[in-house]
This record gives sequence, C-alpha cells and structure tokens, in this order.
Amino acid sequence: MEQYLELSGISKAFPGVQALKDVGFRATGGKVLALLGENGAGKSTLLKILSGDIKPDEGKIVLNGRELSFRSPHDALKSGISVIYQERQLMSAMSVMENIFAGDIPVKNGIVDYKTLKRETKKIIDQFGLPIDPETPVMFLSIAHQQMVEIMKAYRRDSLVIAFDEPTAPLTDTEIEILFNLIRRLKEQGKIILYVSHRLKEIFEVTDEIVVLKDGRFVTHVNTAETNEQDLIKYMVGRDIGDTYANLSRNDKYGDVLLEVNNLTTYAVHDVSFSLRKGEVLGFAGLVGAGRTEVMRAIFGADPIISGEIKLEGKKVEFKTPKDAIDAGIALCPEDRKEQGLVLWRSIEDNIIMPFLDKVRKWPFLDFKKSERVTIEAIKKYDIKTPTIDKIVVELSGGNQQKVILGRWTSSLVNTKLLILDEPTKGIDVGTKAEIYQMVCDLAKEGLGVIFISSELTEVINVADRIIVMKDGTITGEVLREEATEEKVLALAMASN
Amino acid sequence: MDNFTRISTFKKAIRSKAFPLLILFVIMIVLFTALAPLNDANFLTTRTFISILRDLSVPGFLAIGAGCLMVSGGIDLSQATVAAMTGVTIAVSVGWWNLPWYAAVIIALLIALCIGLVNAILVNELNMMPFIATMAMSTVTRAVMMLIATDQTGQMQGSINYNNPTLTLIGNYEIGGFLPATIIAMIIAFIFYGLLLSKTKFGRSVYLIGGNPMAARLAGINSKKTSYILFMNCSLMGGLAGLIYTSRVKQGSLSAMATDQFTGLTAAILGGISFGGGSGGMGGAFIGLLVIKTFNKGMTIIGASSYVTNVLSGALLLAALSFDYYSQRRQRKRIGA
Repeated sequence: MEQYLELSGISKAFPGVQALKDVGFRATGGKVLALLGENGAGKSTLLKILSGDIKPDEGKIVLNGRELSFRSPHDALKSGISVIYQERQLMSAMSVMENIFAGDIPVKNGIVDYKTLKRETKKIIDQFGLPIDPETPVMFLSIAHQQMVEIMKAYRRDSLVIAFDEPTAPLTDTEIEILFNLIRRLKEQGKIILYVSHRLKEIFEVTDEIVVLKDGRFVTHVNTAETNEQDLIKYMVGRDIGDTYANLSRNDKYGDVLLEVNNLTTYAVHDVSFSLRKGEVLGFAGLVGAGRTEVMRAIFGADPIISGEIKLEGKKVEFKTPKDAIDAGIALCPEDRKEQGLVLWRSIEDNIIMPFLDKVRKWPFLDFKKSERVTIEAIKKYDIKTPTIDKIVVELSGGNQQKVILGRWTSSLVNTKLLILDEPTKGIDVGTKAEIYQMVCDLAKEGLGVIFISSELTEVINVADRIIVMKDGTITGEVLREEATEEKVLALAMASN
Repeated sequence: MDNFTRISTFKKAIRSKAFPLLILFVIMIVLFTALAPLNDANFLTTRTFISILRDLSVPGFLAIGAGCLMVSGGIDLSQATVAAMTGVTIAVSVGWWNLPWYAAVIIALLIALCIGLVNAILVNELNMMPFIATMAMSTVTRAVMMLIATDQTGQMQGSINYNNPTLTLIGNYEIGGFLPATIIAMIIAFIFYGLLLSKTKFGRSVYLIGGNPMAARLAGINSKKTSYILFMNCSLMGGLAGLIYTSRVKQGSLSAMATDQFTGLTAAILGGISFGGGSGGMGGAFIGLLVIKTFNKGMTIIGASSYVTNVLSGALLLAALSFDYYSQRRQRKRIGA
C-alpha cells in the first residue's frame, strides 16, 4: 500500500494576516517534497500546524486514510509526524542517547537502564554511519551533529512523516552532504519527507516534487525534474522580480559628504573605512557574520570603538551611547526587529515616540496630543495597517512593524540625517518589500544618507547606489550598482584574502 | 477617512486586568454583608472600611515601590527587610541613643536609600540577577539589623520599645478623630506614583525598559539611570512603610512586616503588573491590595478561623494567577507569538 499524507483546505488567520488560505497537497512515501516560497508565504505556519503547535482554522490532515487532529505537539508525534525545526529542540546538557530516547528512556526495575539505552543508541548511530559518541552531552557537538541527533530522534520514534525546516541554514557544505545522504536513506525506507527551504540549488539536488506557496496560498505542485529555477522564481514571486527594481524612482542628486569612517576597528571589525554622501543609498553586502551589523553598532555608539575615527558632516564625533548618536541625527533600525527594535507589547504610539520622549512633554506630563499627532502622521505616511494608535505592536504583521520603526526615525520630532537599515526586509512579504524599497529611495531624495544592509544579494545590488562588501570583519570590495552582479558581489563576500 | 485616535479611557479600564478584581471586590462586599449577621456582626460600616484602608497603608507603600520596580522588569526581595531595619534603627536611635526623632527618621531612611543603591549597583554594574542580588542583600540587611538590635549587655532584642509622643503620632494621628492620616498619605502616594508612571516621561521609559530593555537602549533610553532610581525608590518606600509601622506599634521589631513583602508583591501581580515587566500600573496594584485586605477583614468579621482565611486567600491568589496565565496564553496563541 502506498503511504501518503494529504492536506486539504488548510486555512489559518492571525490578526492582520491570512497566514494560510485553502492550502492542500499530497505527499507520498519514498519521496522528498519541497515546500517552497518567499518569507511570509506560510511555510512555517504549515509546519507548525503539522507539528500540532498551532491549530488550523479550517482544513483536514489525512495520513494513510486516517484523519488526524492534534491537540498538542505530543499528539502529532504519536501520529507519526516529526518536525525538525531550525532551532534545535534538544536538551543541551543531556547526552546524545538521552536526547534520542527522550520520552521513552528504557527502564529496568524503576531505574534508567543505561546499558540498553547506550546499546540501542549505538545501533541507530551506526545505521546512519555517524562518528558520534552516545554519551557526549549534546552541547559539545557541532551544529550539524546536533541536527543529526534531531533526525535520529525522529527516526527512533519511527515517524512516518519527517519535515525539515530550512535544515541547511547553519551547515557547511560537507555537513550538507551528510544531511542529504541521510535524507536519501530515509527516502529509501519509504518515509514521507517534507523539505522547507528557499535555497533553490538544494531543492534541485535533494527533492522529487515541489509545492510552491505564495502569500499563504497554494500556487503549484510540480515534479522537480520537470521544472527550472526561472519558473520557480516566477511562481514564488508571482511576477518578474526585475520589475520591482526597474520601477523604483531613485534619487540622482547627491549632496555633501555626510559620514566618513576612517580605519574603524572594534572587537569584531578591522580597519573599516568608507564614506557616504547625503542622498545616497549605500548597500552593505556580505555573508551572515561578516561584521556589517558590528560596524553599524560601533557608529551608533552601541559597541565600543578600539581605534579609528568617525566624522559626521566633516566633524569628528564620539558617541558613548546610542543616545548621543540619536541626538546627532543618526537612526538605527536594528537587524532583529522584534528583539532589538520594538517593545512588542506596547502601543504603536509608544514605539514611535520612544527615542524622543523629551520632545513630547508638557511639564510635568507627556504631551499626549502631540504624541498622538506624530503617531497619526507616521501611520498615514507609511500606510500602517491599524485601526488605532494604541494597538500593540505584536499584533501587527512584520511589514507593518518595520514601518513603525521607519515612522519612528523619520517623524517630525527628529532631524535624522543618517538612517541605518539592518536587514529591513527580513521576514516581510513581497508587496511590502517593494514599498520599503521605494521608501528608502524617497528618504534619499529628502537628503538623508541611507545605509542599507541586506543578505539578499538581488535586493542589495538593486536598491543601493553603491555596494560595499564585507567578509570576516573587513571590507573586501566596493561596486557601483551599474556594474554590480550577484556573481561579482558573492565573489567578494567569499573572497579568500 | 480614519482618524486612528486612541480607544477611550473607559474601554481601556474595562479591558485592564484590574477590572475583574473590581468586580470581585463588589461581590465580596455583597457576600460579607450578607454573611456577617450570622456571626452577630456588621460588615458594611465606615469603621470596617477605615480599618481595611489602615491595614493597607503599610503594604501599600511596599507595593508602590515594588510595583514600579517590577514594571521595569526588576524585583526587590530585600524591601520588607529594609522596612524592618528602618523600624529597628528608628527605635534604637530614639529609645537607646536618645537621638531626636527627626534625626532618627533621617538616618533610618538614608540607610534604606543606601541599601537600594547597593542593590542597583549589584544589578547594573555587576550584572547580577535582581532576584539573587536582592535576596543576598536581604540576608546582609537582616544581619546588620541584628547587630543594631544588640544592647550593651550583648543581648539581641527581638523588639525595642521607645517613648516619643511625636514619633508615635506619625502612624496614629487621626484627622477629625476618626480618619487615620496614614490612609491619606498612602492614597496621595498611590496617586502621585500612578501619575508618574502613566503620564510622565519617566514613567513611559519605565514601561519601555520593562517591555524590551535592549530596544529601549538602542532607542537612547537611559535604562541604567532609571534602574538606579527605581531600586532606590523601592527601598525608600520600604523605609517609609517601616517608619509608619514602627510609629504605629510604638516599637521596633526584628520580625515586622515579613509577610507584607508578599502581600505587596501579590497585590502588584493581581493588579496586572507582570513578573516580566512592561505592564500594569498603580491603580491595579491598589485594587489588588484592596481585594486581599477586604477578604481578610471580611473573613474575620464573619468569624472564620485564620487558618481557613489563609487557605482561601492562597486559593484566591492561585485562581487569579491561573486566570492571568490562561488569558495571556490565549492572547499569544491568537496572534501566533
């Protein structure tokens, strides 16, 4: 009998977003099915539904003819569905064997039977051919091996369905090869495998079928062998991405030099020098961990500077705290919106006036009329979707959250000269991304200098006027937009010096 | 065209966590009024409420200090010890060393402020967890208090009597012969700190720091300064509570107010100030206290044994916390956070 997992009519709404709408497809045993889509397409929500983490509003999950409904992640596990998330869910201080058998530790006379535990674990590890000691605490393993432990855990439970959420993100090439071999083994054993990723290359390498999602909806279900990268991108984006960038209305008049950084060295970056003119959008490309964020934090006064100088409008500046930098007209939209940018459980209003409480005062109290006015201005300027100014930010979608931060730094309370955007489009849907690109260009037209950090190559080489590429804490090159190609930038980002 | 204005204050009040407590308060009044005659007593009298409010003033000051600190994400477990220490210091200064009462009060409150300062230094400069740092400080304070309470013969006194009419008046003065001045002081303090938290720049930064310290720092909010102020204020409020208590009972006692610490914290949590920080306010904390004290008083009046009262008030707290936890979880689930 053929093994299969069938989803039909799955819908799930969060306030402000329809995360999934009527999604359905069928995955069969012995095959790897890729779930493909941009950030915000609904892949993670779908996995969370499969793992019993959240409940769908509507829809059916059928495994081998049996309809499943989960009240908890435990139910999903019992039904034979294991989801392996990006954040590994292991008990890091416990040994490999305890993790693999968590929930089913063999017991003899009420005492843990370590002998059996070790023997059984060894069996599984050998089947996978991995050089892992069952007794090592998981925290001493490499990220890749930790992931292998997760997979062995799923294997030990004899899960029929194993879903991977962006498994290769933290892995090196050799480690990816090990993972793919594992996945192929699982496939041979007839498991139903779901593979979420947006790395197209991998999808062609390891999957048999592809389901594309876009904005929470099912787009298509194709055989991997019968499609190609261009088609997939078109399915994912819904239109040619070229247009978004071609239609941007850019600023073409630069002013004086706004920022000059000379030989900046901190604990994380070395000898960084660059300059930025008013009205210019300067991109920073590089791999994750290249030191781009650290350069910006140093400029913003959030990290200490070991040596080097920073000049703003020709004058040497030294910021001891972010407050000094803000007072001088520098604004930072940090990399991690939710962790560093916003106070999630406070209102839009609070999040917008946050750095400028001094300027909305009517002694001894805050000037609530003024702060209301400023907030409404920002809501209108950026078209933030909300009924009132006191909606708490956590209830907004990612795109609207980012707009709140932009609204904060460009309000009439502040004279921002330099706007630093660190990964501003991370986790944001395609439509809002385009809006944010245009906002960046509009702000440049107003005479702001904008620094635009992004790990998405297409984005950074198409939005920025000039692109600086970093690797291992130093600048490895600089390219103008006109001459920038993904290959060129990538070569600099991965250059061996 | 949308106008995006705020939701009304009335709607906000109804949605706040303190609102169910207010309903509970009303239910309690009705119940106790109905049950009191069975014990040949009367619940619904001015005297009952004045007595409830008077009982509330000492934990009230504690809850103000602890509540403000908790909104910023901190916690102070040394506050009640500081309160007892203040009382003992005042009693010893006046009773044994014959200092004038005002000098004793100033010295005692300065000591309280210093303990707050040390707490703030431990947390902000040495990056200790507030929970651990203040618990350690509580132990240290208790030891110092015992030293202070050791008399010339080398005997430690559990309670120190003093005789000073002015000092005694602070906690016992009754306006018009029936309304204790401490009630008025406490209500003024609640209003003052309530306005401070909800309407001022300082208050707003307290909420933002409590909500997300990292984001607050990157938005230029000086969280260190705020934390120092809040820790010192928390101790100072402990000191004021200690002053009022010592004045009222006319002695300094080593074991005073030990349970009030938790009454204060409990009230703050009941009223919507969460352990994580960033939410709740003074109004909620006050209503929280009011519910706890009304319950205790009502149980006494209807003649329930103190054991039953303790069990039931514990159950009340558990019920409130589970309700809080449940509604928070539902909210998180709803928005997928």
